[in-house]
Amino acid sequence: MSITSAVVLAAGEGTRLRPLTRNRPKPMLPAGNRPILEYVCDALVEAGIERLVVVVGYKRDRVQDGLGHSYRDVPVEYVVQEKQLGSGHALLQAREAVAGPVVVVNGDRVIEASTVRATLAAYHEECAASLAVVANEDAGRYGAVELHDGRITELVEKPANDDYRLINGGVYAFGGSVFEELAATPRTDGSLPLTDTVARLIDDGEVRGARVDGTWADATYPWDLLTVAREVLGDGMVSGVQRHPGEWVAESATVHEDATLVAPAVVGPDCEVGAGAVVGPYVALGRNATVEANATVQTSVVDADTRVGAGSVLVDAVTGQNVRVGAGAVVPGGPGDVVVGDQVFPDQRLGAVVADRARLGGGSRCDPGTLVGTGARVGTGVVASGHVAEGAEVVR
Amino acid sequence: MCGIIATVGRSDTLDVLMNGLSMLDYRGYDSAGVALGGGGDRVEVVKRAGKLENLRAALDGEGAPEGAVGVAHTRWSTHGPPTDENAHPHTDPEGRVAVVHNGIIENYQRLRDDLEAAGQEFASDTDTEVVPHLIAAALDRGEPVEQAVRQAVDAIEGSYALCIAVAGDDRLYGARNDSPLVLGIDDGAYYLASDVPAFRKHTDQVAFLEEGEFVTVSPDGYTVTDGAGEPVEKPHHTVEWDPEEAGKAGYDHFMLKEIHEQPRSLRQCLQGRVDELSGSVELEELEGLERPEQLHLVAAGTSYHAAVYAATLLRSAGVPAQAFYAHEYAATTPPVEDALVVGVTQSGETADTLGALRAARRRGATTLACTNTVGSTAARECDHTLYIHAGPEIGVAATKTFASQLVALSLFSLWLDDGDAREQIAALRDLPGQVQAVLDDSRAREIAETYHGSDAYFFIGRGLNYPVALEGALKFKEITYEHAEGFAAGELKHGPLALVTENTPVFAVVTGDGEQARKTVGNVKEVEARDAPVVAVTDGASDAARYADHVLEIPETDPRTGAVLANVQLQLVAYHAADLLGRPIDKPRNLAKSVTVE
Repeated sequence: MSITSAVVLAAGEGTRLRPLTRNRPKPMLPAGNRPILEYVCDALVEAGIERLVVVVGYKRDRVQDGLGHSYRDVPVEYVVQEKQLGSGHALLQAREAVAGPVVVVNGDRVIEASTVRATLAAYHEECAASLAVVANEDAGRYGAVELHDGRITELVEKPANDDYRLINGGVYAFGGSVFEELAATPRTDGSLPLTDTVARLIDDGEVRGARVDGTWADATYPWDLLTVAREVLGDGMVSGVQRHPGEWVAESATVHEDATLVAPAVVGPDCEVGAGAVVGPYVALGRNATVEANATVQTSVVDADTRVGAGSVLVDAVTGQNVRVGAGAVVPGGPGDVVVGDQVFPDQRLGAVVADRARLGGGSRCDPGTLVGTGARVGTGVVASGHVAEGAEVVR
Repeated sequence: MCGIIATVGRSDTLDVLMNGLSMLDYRGYDSAGVALGGGGDRVEVVKRAGKLENLRAALDGEGAPEGAVGVAHTRWSTHGPPTDENAHPHTDPEGRVAVVHNGIIENYQRLRDDLEAAGQEFASDTDTEVVPHLIAAALDRGEPVEQAVRQAVDAIEGSYALCIAVAGDDRLYGARNDSPLVLGIDDGAYYLASDVPAFRKHTDQVAFLEEGEFVTVSPDGYTVTDGAGEPVEKPHHTVEWDPEEAGKAGYDHFMLKEIHEQPRSLRQCLQGRVDELSGSVELEELEGLERPEQLHLVAAGTSYHAAVYAATLLRSAGVPAQAFYAHEYAATTPPVEDALVVGVTQSGETADTLGALRAARRRGATTLACTNTVGSTAARECDHTLYIHAGPEIGVAATKTFASQLVALSLFSLWLDDGDAREQIAALRDLPGQVQAVLDDSRAREIAETYHGSDAYFFIGRGLNYPVALEGALKFKEITYEHAEGFAAGELKHGPLALVTENTPVFAVVTGDGEQARKTVGNVKEVEARDAPVVAVTDGASDAARYADHVLEIPETDPRTGAVLANVQLQLVAYHAADLLGRPIDKPRNLAKSVTVE
């Protein structure tokens, strides 16, 4: 039988992506210049899904505003996970909203329609579930799997050794009994990860695996958004009119004739790019972003409503929404050491992460690896480094 | 002020009608009913007072009527109380003819007297019921059905949108005069409704009927004729927006959803109209409009506050402009001379505003409609139209459409002034992100909780913030049913200050640090001295926060966009205050979305 409903899990914050998740959950962060969640929904709709049930929780208004009541003519319904007690618990909230076999996907990773189709093709009524299997060199960050003759034989969460090359891609097809299985799965510290239930299904029944090689991109840390942007730009998974190969400009955007786009680059709707500005390569400008005259933006993600001041330089930067980069401010780019909590990530290629509504004053500079919190202000001419707390003001 | 949906050519007539009613019930909601006909010698009617759920329950109880032609109605009383009898559809005593009607039949008493004198008995107190009686009388005289319907329509005077089903006839009839009626066109199926959302689920092809037009619809096609009976070719329009936008998308209320939609609706309003690089504003639809010497803005309700905002903005740019209540303007129209008369109406169907625009046109004025609704009466009757592009709004309390009115009128003021508008355009382009910032960080819920149960709520502002104060109070009273008033800050000491006590919170809207802000801070001190709690809605540029008990913060920006941001905070305060009181927020008592009666 054909599966036409999908549950999208979009309730979790994605705490390791702070400070970018201060105002929205991870699925609403940009892959290039569109929310990750839109890529997920595109894949589902293109694979023939006719009904989307989205599980929302953390900052759910942003998901609801983003998708609305229908996405590409497919109706969208919402169920709320009040407390974020794991992905299995999230799926359980959709119990009343779906019946029969269903596709389940994580809303926070970029996937392609072919991945959904392959997962659906691998599912049949006698098996308990199917899931997409992706080759990934960072298996230690994810759920590693063993696949034999199309059948999943083992699922290990975040394995400590390097023996694994295949991971669980977070795209599933389940039979209608999955909700009973979820309810029957013992909780770990009150939490219910979906993979605990999948592990039980592997032990008690048959779980099929579909080996897929379509685009699969995930961000664990804020600087991973640069890699995700690189993937979607590199794969041409970008909307807008392609003016020249690798240069996508939305119809409603204005690019001054004396500005330069360096492919690949995408300029979102309502953007304005001033005279003498250089944008690219590997740059994504979100909706209504402004790059003023003579600014230079390279290998960066500039999110919606952000204003990059005249003559400023952004290299390897990730900005949130509504950020102000003052005239002549400089983010010279990585590599640098990034400190998150008590963890140090050495030599990351990161200029700076500048969270929503933060301001870099005119002529200021960010040392490589700087994290600027939501609404923080880096004063005129200041050199910022390390972590600037939310709302803080750095003065000379 | 009612909603009509009718259809012909569907096999699931009842489902189409019920779905249509649920999409239309924002227009009024004190009773609803359906009638299905086609075959048989009677039309089947089920109608109930109260909300749509009552009708649904009745249909479940009585067995679903069937038929290939159906008419349905959701009513908001103008003649007679909301009872089962007064609910539409209305029929003749034999049940051969079913009629739904939106508007007022002015000569109904005389027609009814004549019919009663001829021995006919009436079942309801409504003006509408004369129509099925007239048609039945003509059928009794042996007139063919279409002729009988036509004669009845010719006999009535007043404002109406009518849909009529007759037993044993597979056609649907519609007529329009001063009340909206739209035809939806699909393969082998047709719809007539007072508004597009009622059938948008089924088709995006529409034709708008004009005043005095009459339409006959069968499963095979339709014909439209004018008042003289001459056939009229109707252009088809494609409706672009999505029917599902009418859904709540996970929000408890449409109002909250629409408050949160503002960043998006403001982007739509600005899209393609501003160019910061060149500092220019382009309003394509105003091509050919000459720069006027002076402006009269006419409007009612929330739209009136947008008109006050626009008039203030224009006057400060040196353009003589005044805002008027539309109903007063129609009653005592000032000399229009060389004025451009701008009607601000979200629906484009507000009877008072249409009346004012018609009065101005009779005196030779050029008119401009500022509206959200493509193809609305205001858009079709005025010489020019400025669209606000806010998308459909379902909550009775206007929120996103007010914000879009402010921005559209702000664009209009920049368009009138040929100067370099780079700074203002930058401020407008910053606005969607700043509205999002207010939505993300608002403390409105906390403020609503703190002042829950106060005696009254006052709102003050000066200059561009004066209409914000008026709108803040209107929103508050509409949905909380609490006493709320907005005042010009400077007017407080001339009277209203007597109302201020320690149990009447005063919301003061203060933006910038100019002379107006300083004076409003002075008014805040007057209020403080009377021990009233003060909530400052401010960007922090002045020292208003120092004299306030609570602060609702907005980002610092240009005064014209600061007004929009302050309004968002006050929308949220009203919403949360109403929510705490358990009010039916999307459908406050006694109010309807689109006020199509004068």
